[in-house]
Amino acid sequence: MELLKTAYEVFMRTYPGFLEATLFTLQITAVALVLGTILGLFFALMKISRSKVLQTIANLYITIIRGTPLIVQIMFLYFGITSLVVLSGFWAGAIALGIHNGAYIAEIFRGAIQGIDRGQREASSSLGMTRGQSMRRIIFPQALKRSIPPLGNQFIITLKDSSLVYIISVPELFAMANREAAQSFQPLETYLVVGVYYLVLVMIFTFLLKLYENKLDVDK
Amino acid sequence: MKKKYSFLTAIAATAMLITGCGGEDEKVAGAKEGAGSDFNLLEDGQLTYASSGLYKPFSFTEGSDLTGFDVEIGEAIAEKMGLEPNPITTPWETITQSLLGNKFDAIIGSMAITAERAERVNFSDPYYYSGGMIFVPAGSDEITSVEDLEGKKIGVVAQSTYDTAAQKYTEDIKYYNSDVVALKDLTVEGRLDAVITADVVGFEAIASGLEIKEVGEPLWIEQAAVAVRKEDEKLLEDINAAIQEMVEDGTYEEISNKWFERNLLDVDLEGIEILN
Repeated sequence: MELLKTAYEVFMRTYPGFLEATLFTLQITAVALVLGTILGLFFALMKISRSKVLQTIANLYITIIRGTPLIVQIMFLYFGITSLVVLSGFWAGAIALGIHNGAYIAEIFRGAIQGIDRGQREASSSLGMTRGQSMRRIIFPQALKRSIPPLGNQFIITLKDSSLVYIISVPELFAMANREAAQSFQPLETYLVVGVYYLVLVMIFTFLLKLYENKLDVDK
Repeated sequence: MKKKYSFLTAIAATAMLITGCGGEDEKVAGAKEGAGSDFNLLEDGQLTYASSGLYKPFSFTEGSDLTGFDVEIGEAIAEKMGLEPNPITTPWETITQSLLGNKFDAIIGSMAITAERAERVNFSDPYYYSGGMIFVPAGSDEITSVEDLEGKKIGVVAQSTYDTAAQKYTEDIKYYNSDVVALKDLTVEGRLDAVITADVVGFEAIASGLEIKEVGEPLWIEQAAVAVRKEDEKLLEDINAAIQEMVEDGTYEEISNKWFERNLLDVDLEGIEILN
């Protein structure tokens, strides 16, 4: 009970800064999601294409990005490539997070596309559709629907992983919590409070996703 | 046809909404080049300076605002130079790297002058002196002098002068990104035997109710100074002039008194090793 009281005090004291930081967290996550989804779609299509070259490129991307830690990628973009291009903390973080998630999202899309029954493609080609047409009209709409639950999962991971960009001094939620914990000598309460922030964000996100899933009738 | 794109469009729209209404990007260590200025500043007309933000009372956040002695010194320096102060925070471990990578214009974050650092950056005249000091848990009597540190578990901030000192005595070093967090860990049974940090920082922690105590006298005196990139000679010159002006017109004393109730530059340097 004592803890709840002090945690509440910490919450009341910190919410102006934490809310501002939450906006940063959301911005980074949003940019990362858009980028990740575009990259994911792109590389998924490359991976299922008939061109060996495109397949190899996609495999290379997925292997490298999925095989190295996100924090290494963040540091690489922020500190590593300064002689080529100087990115702000926000953009280095958002791009790293986007590229990182792109690899996972590519696999989600690929799985969804390849998971559509073979018979559907055969049926559409027997109706005279080209490969591209059957992809656009038959396979893709179904695959997109199927990929929504795992995508939602990946989006939640992205939101939480955005906390890693504190390391390149982006004033997002976790960075704010670190500062607060350091100056108040109250790590227990502060990390508890920031945990609740993330929890609430994820819950809101899950709810929105659920609404969208219902609208699309994903189960069918 | 329309439906399959609506999901992506929804995400894109949300992203644009969120990023669009923020406009906070400026505060992040940005990458914009200040054009047409004498100083090669990151943001035109602004002195962007960094501290860890985890070093109460020198740099820390109160509510959502960055404050502390270093931050106010930076404000005073910027004002005297006719620039807008823009304090930011960055993790201490990579602060020099960030300065050299043009992520901000100067470090005003209690960085002590050392020969090793001076090879990579240029230092201004010192703007305060502080002592490197050993702190132990309040109930501990294991460590009563420097010699007792031998083989003990010592907590320090990586890349700090205290890190170098700790390495002389032990191989069992635990690294933190904040001195204050290290001091806090000192109060957790079995985590650490001692922390080496600045005397003022330890005293501030004690005043905040942390159950720790100092051991003996300061081990050495170090000189905290503003660090800038080697090529920014004009900037350094003007920062030095600003510091001197600040000391002469009493602004410095005012800030120092506000945070420490004494003048930090007013230190008897005799008989104690000065770190450099």
